[in-house]
Amino acid sequence: MNGVDLIKACSAIGAGLAMIAGIGPGIGQGYAAGKGAEGVGRQPEAQGDIVRTMLLGAAVAETTGIYGLIVALILLFANPFF
Amino acid sequence: MTTSYELEKAIIKRVLITMTVLILLAFFTSQNPKTWILGYVFGGLIGILNFLHLGKTLERAVTMNPGKAQGYASSRYMLRYLTTAVVIAISLKADYLNGLATIIGLLLVKFSIFSIHLFDSKEYYKRIFKRREDNK
Repeated sequence: MNGVDLIKACSAIGAGLAMIAGIGPGIGQGYAAGKGAEGVGRQPEAQGDIVRTMLLGAAVAETTGIYGLIVALILLFANPFF
Repeated sequence: MTTSYELEKAIIKRVLITMTVLILLAFFTSQNPKTWILGYVFGGLIGILNFLHLGKTLERAVTMNPGKAQGYASSRYMLRYLTTAVVIAISLKADYLNGLATIIGLLLVKFSIFSIHLFDSKEYYKRIFKRREDNK
């Protein structure tokens, strides 16, 4: 095994580790949606406010997952080391 | 009319304006503007579609029972994540698209949310260098 193969193997492992970042926003978004549904059940007239606030929060929270995805895909498809 | 329609419209309008400015800048700053422009348009439009999909998902999720809403929102998030992965992979592989421009286009919705709801307020800039203890 030469140096380039080692770099490729380590890049693949790194890409796999970076993809873990995508799990967190999914769990968080699901949790927020569950709590939002509870809130709407308790106070149905606040549905508009709840959805608007959740929409902004969820859109921003997704960014961290996308950052992890970008790192992983750059390691696989546009690796600067080989 | 949906409950979050006006908010979505304002954010999408800001994204389109920013995208236009970036496309005009690409003409003057880049050696090969076509790849940058295609990247901005591709990433920006997919970012807008993802945002609209998120809005529809949340509107539907709040009408379900909490357990079901949790699973529904998570599964839809994974769908959007997969779409984003395909878009970024294509932009990195294809010669006619600039990868960096696509990534910037995808994140334009987030930048627009920050610019509308955080950086538009003058109070935010006034508070930056103020210590919390000084307010008391």
